[in-house]
Amino acid sequence: MNTLEYADLFLTESREHVVAVNRALLELERDTTGPNSSGAVAEIFRAVHTIKGMGATMGFAIVAELAHELENVLDRVRRDDLALDVDVMDVLFRAADILELAVEAAVAGRDGELHSADLVAQLRALGTITSNGDWTVDAPPGPGMLVRIRLQPDTPLRGVRAFIIVQSLGKLGEVLVTEPYIEDLQSEGFASDFALRLATTADPSAVEDVVRRAGDVADVEVNGDIAKESPAEKPAAKQAANPVARISGPFGAEPAEIDGARRARHVRIDVRRLDALMNLAGELVIARGRLTQLSADLGNAALEETVTQASALITELRDEITASRMVPVSHVFDRFPRIVRDAARAVGKPIDFVVEGKDIELDRSMLDELGDSIVHLLRNAIDHGIEDSEQRAAAGKPETGRLVLSAVRDRSAIVIKVSDDGKGIDRARVLARAKRDGLIDAARTDLTEDELLRLIARPGFSTAEAVTSMSGRGVGVDAVYTRVRSLGGAMDIRSVQGRGTTMILRLPLTLAVVRAVLARVADETYAIPLAHVSESIELSADDVRTVNGREVLLARDEVLPLLRLRQIVGLPEYVAPSAIELEQVVMIDLGDRRAALVVDELVAQDEIVVKQYDGPREGLDCFAGATLLGDGAPSLIVDVSSLAA
Amino acid sequence: MNHTVLICDDAVFMRTMVGDILTQAGFEIVGQAETGVQAVEQYKLLKPDLVTMDIVMPDMGGIDAVREIYAFDPNAKILMCSAMGQQALVVEAIQAGAKDFVVKPFQPSRVLEAVQRVLG
Repeated sequence: MNTLEYADLFLTESREHVVAVNRALLELERDTTGPNSSGAVAEIFRAVHTIKGMGATMGFAIVAELAHELENVLDRVRRDDLALDVDVMDVLFRAADILELAVEAAVAGRDGELHSADLVAQLRALGTITSNGDWTVDAPPGPGMLVRIRLQPDTPLRGVRAFIIVQSLGKLGEVLVTEPYIEDLQSEGFASDFALRLATTADPSAVEDVVRRAGDVADVEVNGDIAKESPAEKPAAKQAANPVARISGPFGAEPAEIDGARRARHVRIDVRRLDALMNLAGELVIARGRLTQLSADLGNAALEETVTQASALITELRDEITASRMVPVSHVFDRFPRIVRDAARAVGKPIDFVVEGKDIELDRSMLDELGDSIVHLLRNAIDHGIEDSEQRAAAGKPETGRLVLSAVRDRSAIVIKVSDDGKGIDRARVLARAKRDGLIDAARTDLTEDELLRLIARPGFSTAEAVTSMSGRGVGVDAVYTRVRSLGGAMDIRSVQGRGTTMILRLPLTLAVVRAVLARVADETYAIPLAHVSESIELSADDVRTVNGREVLLARDEVLPLLRLRQIVGLPEYVAPSAIELEQVVMIDLGDRRAALVVDELVAQDEIVVKQYDGPREGLDCFAGATLLGDGAPSLIVDVSSLAA
Repeated sequence: MNHTVLICDDAVFMRTMVGDILTQAGFEIVGQAETGVQAVEQYKLLKPDLVTMDIVMPDMGGIDAVREIYAFDPNAKILMCSAMGQQALVVEAIQAGAKDFVVKPFQPSRVLEAVQRVLG
């Protein structure tokens, strides 16, 4: 079989299963015997089993072997045959890592290169079965032939198999009772064996034969104890009516209520196909704009009505496509607890990691792009932000550091924060370093949060030894900053010395179609993404002040930096045609910072389709892309995060 | 004579995979269906020895298709192809008349074992 074409699918699915394994292992590590532990073991077992099946199909011997040995260990754990002590947990964690490596290596065509022999030996030692094959469930009381059945350890959909076995026995007579009850059997609520009583006139060997032919049966025992109790007893119709036998009732006649049938059903779709759909929806939105405008110009009522209807449908279509691209952030965030655990262990710091807002949804492509950046920020917090236990104790803090990753929906934006309760950034060091490099006025004695971020996000600046050894908090910040900006987002930082640091990422929900405020300066229309706009007001000259040679706006209790779009794009100053035609100010949110942007006039609020440039534009990095307006005219999209820089 | 098979799955990928496994084991693929409705039509037309049936398909799901085929031919031998986690649906399909099941992703040995059970 040519399995190469399935490699991508195998890789994607296996990765997801490894994530699930890690998540469940972490849960197990917290509480190896608690009420959730059996669920966690079952989840790991399922994931490993699936990887094994896929690996075997693909002909990846190492993957299949590893998964198989791991499965045997898990099976023992599942049957309470092996206690989960620290050593066993370590082996399991290692196995998950090696399994992931094996998957990657196999897909890359290097299946044989991974050396996993010692791990396999360890797993084998742990997985060696010591149990004597005893039946674990009690014999159900009552009349009828007792049948005990054990399934193979790797039986897929064990509940269904059990059901098929029970159903096929229905051909020989009536199944009076099962242990556990049939509902539990179906939902896999049994370890490896189950028992039942069958009212039948058939021969025990015929019963055994039927059971074995139903598939996946490891062991059958028919009439095991009936001989001891009452050898002469033959099931009869009146005994079948025994109330004990009625507890779970006969079955096969009426199907059990199946609520799972109405559960959400899923299909897997290539992200590229979703991208193509999104692009088409974007083009439709643009065409709709033009259509709406043309029909308004023509003034034909019937046409306008039809256009309105089509327009609503296009909006709905666009919303559906957008929604189909949204995935919960847990998709990526679920990898982090394991990464944090390992990183914290590596530096020997006890860290409590909390993830908030896992259900918040974000565009799939955006989320994928963000994953690495968040890992960067988490690692920085662990390596350099949070102090070791002694330092923390000396500073009067709890010994266990606290690291919080949160996602919150804020209007048409999502805000992701990485917060630690560590030592914060040493501003004095950053300031000194910035002065030495001539990046900042030598007379300055403090840095604003803005300046701090811009300094540590300078490529090269942050990685310089003088800073990293002290605060360190710069490693890779430039990369994160660049990535977030390229996604149309903004980044911010809050750091209090001795108390901790919070990195704030503010991102649009989706990449392709965004709501924007259309603003005019002179004859040009610019688009400002609504994710970054909080409100707009009229500009009153009375509220403008000049501080340190820069204009600021007094808005309520705030003093905001005032930026003029005309100045930014190199147009002459605004000359009011009359005294009442005031300029407009758009209030801009950047992470946690705000700024005021002055434009001539706000034209409209509309959906725009973001188109990337074909190549860099000289000198103008204040635009994040371009779009087509309803009248077909192009418009530039303002990159708000660049404005405050 | 080789056993004849009708493969029902909306994914070409899955049809190809099942087809490969069965062809190599000496079965003759006489038809393929992408929807439940097609599955029923093709069954009536081809009367294959074996049907492999996906559970989730457009227009008519696999379970309803099993019901219709079973009503047409109570001796139909239908093997369900299920994904992990669909036990309730598989149980429903078995109650509707399917004989056995295999779980995706397919392992050739498991598919062939299940086919033997269904035909045997």
